[in-house]
Amino acid sequence: MGFIGRGKPRAHEQDERFAIQKEKYGGQQYSQIYFARLHYMRSVLYSLIPNWKPQVPVCTVLGLEKGKECIIVGTIYKHMKLKPCVLDEYSKERSAVPIVKPHNFMHPDDHLVLEDESGRVKLSGDVFSPSTFVTGIVVALHGKETDAGDFLVLDILEAGLAPQIEFSLDSREEKYVVFVSGLSVGGSSSNPLHFQLLEQAIASQIVRVVIAGDSVEIPHGILNGQNLGTKELSRLSEPTKELDIFITQLAAAVPLDIMPGPNDPANFSLPQQPLHRCLFPGASTYNTFTSCTNPHLFELDGVSFLGTSGQNVDDLEKYSDAKDKLEFMERQLRWRHIAPTAPNTLECYPFTDRDPFFMESCPHVYFVGNQNKYESRLLKGSEGQIVRLICIPKFCKTGVAVALNLRNLECHTLSFSINLDM
Amino acid sequence: MTNGSGAKRRGPPAAAPPKRLHQEQPPQPPPTPSAAMDEDDMMDEDVFLDETLLHAEDEEAAFQIHEEEERRKVIAFRLEKWRRPPMSPSFLSQSCNIVFQQLEIDYVIGESRKELVPNSSGPAAILRIFGVTREGMGPDDVSRLHQTLEARMKEANRNSKAPKFIKRIEMMQKRSIMHYQQQQSHPFLKIVVALPTMVAGCRGIFERGIHVDGLGMRSFMTYESNVLFALRFMIDCNIVGGNWIEVPAGKYKKTIKPMSYCQLEFDCIYSELISHASEGEFSKIAPFRILSFDIECAGRKGLFPDPSHDPVIQVANLVTLQGEQQPFVRNIMTLKSCSPIVGVDVMSFDTEREVLLAWRDFIQEVDPDIIIGYNIIKFDLPYLIERAEVLKVAEFPILGRIRNSRVRVRDATFSSRQYGTRESKEVTIEGRVQFDLLQVMQRDYKLSSYSLNSVSAHFLGEQKEDVHHSIISDLQNGNPETRRRLAVYCLKDAYLPQRLLDKLMFIYNYVEMARVTGVPISFLLSRGQSIKVLSQLLRKAKQKNLLIPSVKKQGSGEATFEGATVLEAKTGFYEKPIATLDFASLYPSIMMAYNLCYCTLVKPEDVRKLNLPPECVNKTPSGETFVKSDLQKGILPEILEELLAARKRAKADLKEAKDPLEKAVLDGRQLALKISANSVYGFTGATVAQLPCLEISSSVTSYGRQMIEHTKKLVGEKFTTLNGYEHNAEVIYGDTDSVMVQFGVPTVEEAMKLGREAAEYISCTFTKPIKLEFEKVYFPYLLISKKRYAGLFWTNSNKYDKMDTKGIETVRRDNCLLVKNLVTECLHKILIDRDIPGAVQYVKDTISDLLMNRMDLSLLVITKGLTKTGDDYAVKAAHVELAERMRKRDAATAPNVGDRVPYVIIKAAKGAKAYERSEDPIYVLENNIPIDTQYYLENQISKPLLRIFEPILKNASKELLHGSHTRAVSISTPSNSGIMKFAKKQLTCIGCKAVLRHVLNGEQTVCSHCKGRETELYCKTVANVAELEKLFGRLWTQCQECQGSLHQDVLCTSRDCPIFYRRKKAQKDMAEAKVQLDRWQF
Repeated sequence: MGFIGRGKPRAHEQDERFAIQKEKYGGQQYSQIYFARLHYMRSVLYSLIPNWKPQVPVCTVLGLEKGKECIIVGTIYKHMKLKPCVLDEYSKERSAVPIVKPHNFMHPDDHLVLEDESGRVKLSGDVFSPSTFVTGIVVALHGKETDAGDFLVLDILEAGLAPQIEFSLDSREEKYVVFVSGLSVGGSSSNPLHFQLLEQAIASQIVRVVIAGDSVEIPHGILNGQNLGTKELSRLSEPTKELDIFITQLAAAVPLDIMPGPNDPANFSLPQQPLHRCLFPGASTYNTFTSCTNPHLFELDGVSFLGTSGQNVDDLEKYSDAKDKLEFMERQLRWRHIAPTAPNTLECYPFTDRDPFFMESCPHVYFVGNQNKYESRLLKGSEGQIVRLICIPKFCKTGVAVALNLRNLECHTLSFSINLDM
Repeated sequence: MTNGSGAKRRGPPAAAPPKRLHQEQPPQPPPTPSAAMDEDDMMDEDVFLDETLLHAEDEEAAFQIHEEEERRKVIAFRLEKWRRPPMSPSFLSQSCNIVFQQLEIDYVIGESRKELVPNSSGPAAILRIFGVTREGMGPDDVSRLHQTLEARMKEANRNSKAPKFIKRIEMMQKRSIMHYQQQQSHPFLKIVVALPTMVAGCRGIFERGIHVDGLGMRSFMTYESNVLFALRFMIDCNIVGGNWIEVPAGKYKKTIKPMSYCQLEFDCIYSELISHASEGEFSKIAPFRILSFDIECAGRKGLFPDPSHDPVIQVANLVTLQGEQQPFVRNIMTLKSCSPIVGVDVMSFDTEREVLLAWRDFIQEVDPDIIIGYNIIKFDLPYLIERAEVLKVAEFPILGRIRNSRVRVRDATFSSRQYGTRESKEVTIEGRVQFDLLQVMQRDYKLSSYSLNSVSAHFLGEQKEDVHHSIISDLQNGNPETRRRLAVYCLKDAYLPQRLLDKLMFIYNYVEMARVTGVPISFLLSRGQSIKVLSQLLRKAKQKNLLIPSVKKQGSGEATFEGATVLEAKTGFYEKPIATLDFASLYPSIMMAYNLCYCTLVKPEDVRKLNLPPECVNKTPSGETFVKSDLQKGILPEILEELLAARKRAKADLKEAKDPLEKAVLDGRQLALKISANSVYGFTGATVAQLPCLEISSSVTSYGRQMIEHTKKLVGEKFTTLNGYEHNAEVIYGDTDSVMVQFGVPTVEEAMKLGREAAEYISCTFTKPIKLEFEKVYFPYLLISKKRYAGLFWTNSNKYDKMDTKGIETVRRDNCLLVKNLVTECLHKILIDRDIPGAVQYVKDTISDLLMNRMDLSLLVITKGLTKTGDDYAVKAAHVELAERMRKRDAATAPNVGDRVPYVIIKAAKGAKAYERSEDPIYVLENNIPIDTQYYLENQISKPLLRIFEPILKNASKELLHGSHTRAVSISTPSNSGIMKFAKKQLTCIGCKAVLRHVLNGEQTVCSHCKGRETELYCKTVANVAELEKLFGRLWTQCQECQGSLHQDVLCTSRDCPIFYRRKKAQKDMAEAKVQLDRWQF
């Protein structure tokens, strides 16, 4: 197969903002990334306030006066009773009680605090529920200081969806982008047959395949510093070899982006850097093969894509709640931030002068990988923005890939499950 | 009277009347304070509180400057809002009864008030009682006590220049508390002197000898002549520490010229006071104002702050009403401008003088009843006062409630058998109780470290941010923002003592202790245990018409007696339940059961002379004779009975109580009662104490031993297969007041049943109220040796309560954290998981990790306090040597005297002494210095491990410490060694470390041989990076959390924090790992 005959799309990689090649760990701390975030977000919110509540004065946390209504802008900090703490390892009592809910650390006593450079103030009031907020988002609050020294919130302004580059839905060809995640080659639940089916399904209208993380499962515990024996070496290299073969075949047919995920042989904290080409001796010879960062930002035929391998949404799920995963994604878009909980609970690089997770513009497609099931929704913004939200399920568990039609942003699943129960 | 002073007293008491010297008169000048300090810790002489009053003119002169006046006005306006609420008119009109809870009582010498005591003249002792009314106002009752009779004594006049020292002498019918006497009373002389300060001199006269007509030159023993005056007053008026006092309307007069800054000041005669017992309404605690404060000083590089050079730059103040959750004043005073802080009143000043004066005004305005803080007595308060002296701010130290009276600081040495000798300071602030949380912690808790950080980590479960003093000066010299940062830190330090106070219920417990024992609260902190017993003894003796002799300090301390018995421990690991039989309050019960007391002890020579029938006396196993209670009831047993009965009541009330505050009071009370009951025995045995009586203490322990043996015998005889039990019971161990029995039954339930049976059966054979109780079962039980054991503790048969360990060194200061973790984990595996092979494997893995250099450095850090500089230590010590070396490296960050020095033991040349091998953990991290893992293996972990495993494993030492897991060793290469300076940096292959020769040809990461292993090597590098990233993120976000701010850099350098070194190491490792990863070009 070649890709003669396919409509060649205009592709644009925009991953530079997620590169940390030139960055150094030189003793910097996390305060700077919060500072940068507050700085960006404040200018956004300040531009919105005149339309929101022009009559209410804006002040800092410090400038609060008792009983006087005003607007303050700052970073939310969520005080959580059950949040696991590294110091617990040292507590004198060996905790006999294991963490009750390892997947969610919320507690009815959790409360929010708003912080800016000048100080912190505890938030009260019932116009918002702490359970939907997380540490790290920046909002504007309208309210007043109470006698108890709390800030009684009367109204909340989130930044809302970022501006979007317009694109027209008509006069396009039928072109598809296929998303897949969680191949987990080498893992107990991966099935080689699925890959073959997936490969064969690559039809001519498919212009790109995006693999959103966790493509390979490397056995834990063998990378402990000792030189590996032959047997372990093969346990380590077999999955990557297998993956390379599969990807080589795909790359021969269609442009392919591979993103690293939490279980891939890549660095762990966001932004994850591209998987090294030495893992893909075969695929890397094709110029259709791109190893990219996580998060991944690119443009295809005027449609902008933004996506992650799932960590950002999984982390929100631990520290807040929503009716489904798509709602978390929707909130991230409204907060204009892909990963608000980084660095607080989501590991990230301590950037000094910028916050790469801030969304300057709204993508047309926002996807996250490695979710339990497929979900999708079209989100419409107040200024005409249209965003396709996609949760890509784990392929090894469901045998499902997702195809997106570039013409109308419509989306459907491609199921390769052998027992065909989908 | 066992020796010394007894010998001085010749002849029967009737012939030579001993004196009860209440107040006496010597013509000599009053004793100086330093002389008084020679006395032992619980019985200081009355000290004349020399008032250092400022003259009114000076004060006015000091405030002449106009600007200062202006400034004061501004501050005064800001402070005003924190004033106490105004008084109701009925107080002002003197028409209502004044009821208040007193906190502190002291006295001064002053002119008496004519209208209260018309028929006296000259100076008199004026007692000042400071307290708080229910409404939260602070009255101050200055009652003037008067000794009105003018009598004289011939002998005392001998060398007297002023004839009015002795006020009166009375003949009293009293009896000495010492020894059983058949006569009910003897004549005593009660001598009343004009001023409390004269008592000591008068006593001296009698002790040295005095000429009495008809008897010639004789020396006399005096009774109760060394009771502190304030305590004397409290005893005579039935006032106990922290109780409520009422002064009826009409019985007091408002002071004409107030001496104090109190809201309410009035005079009355002492006899008009109504002292309320702490019951019902009067058991409550008034809404005291509690000030918690902390200061920061800008030290010079490398030196501990010294008041003669280093300015006070910030003072943080939090004021809380007792019983409230949140402070109602949060204030910080800063030198130079400081950005505002949310919820905090920030006051900035241009000069230090203004800061100090503002603080003075603050104290006067807020008028706290209790001042708390951490190490305020030894550091903060003296520092402020010395600093004010250096700056010549004469009007600063007026912090007390007495007008123009300056705060006085003096060095004090506190020594007590229980707490050891400690150097401290004594700061006198009239009318305000100082409550230094550091002192309290050192007294009440055994902790591995007493830094505020580790204390709050221990009790509040959180780490405190710690800013190194070298950074403090930098922050101060920065801008308003950096000073704000410092202020936030300072405020937090001021808040922690308050939270500790609340969490540990100190106010309740100490007030209750004062009420139970009858001493003022300040005595509880500044004095030893025995003053409390003495106070109770004096009160009881007064009721019984008994007198307590003033025994000269015996000092010998050599007369010892056999202590408590410990039955031989049958060491081993018991996998059957072990029942524990305990004697409830053994020593108090023995004293009660056998009527052991000073006044029931029969002198050996009297035993035959008095011809006591044998059924009326108890002969103790140690050979002493005491009469039974029908002849003479002992007062110690009576005190004990009252204490235990009161405890029973308190416990019953505690069950009934609903209100949490009431519960706190009652719980504090029952605890205080228990401690008091147990300290009576110690009082009789303390040879340097007020009234030692080894006959009593040795009798008590001898009975105790007898009881343990008796119990052992009965258990062995009764619970046998011969008597129809399933197994023969065996006593495996017995300590002071408990006996451990293995009944042989396999379940906890059965052991409990038998334990209860045994306790009941054996209790019947003892004299009441001695009682053997069954409380708990240990299962399984690891008995290591005498006083060392561990086991799971069961009080019901369904679920164990906890793991209980005794004597197993898990919290010792000189051990590193590794030892503690290892021992705890092993015990957990052995006792709870019942997995001995698992414990062995865990030990092996840990040792292997240690030898392979995979250990977290913070686990290896040993910490010792630097108390003096190197030259003063006779023997070279590791931490002292290290401090010296660090000073040479960088004086700014080197530890100072008073700091705790953390160190690790590093590899060094063969034969190097341990003290030469200590090194700063940070330096070790930065330079990859190899750790001496053998040292840790042999000197730190081997002993505690063997102790645990020897009863369990054969060849424990061989199995654990010398297996194959000890063979692989890895040592890091130091980056600062001499040879490294000559080394040239060359890229080496990541796989085999071979030098890469073809760098120019693109060979950047691996050599041609390792090319095939690229995937493996890459995966390894990247896995390492991923691990470190996780750690880095968790550690640094935790520090942000503790710091309480996202937008500001973490400054904390708390070396007590368990993650401090890890955080530092994570940062360094991360940087290195990133460099390695970047070599894999993409």
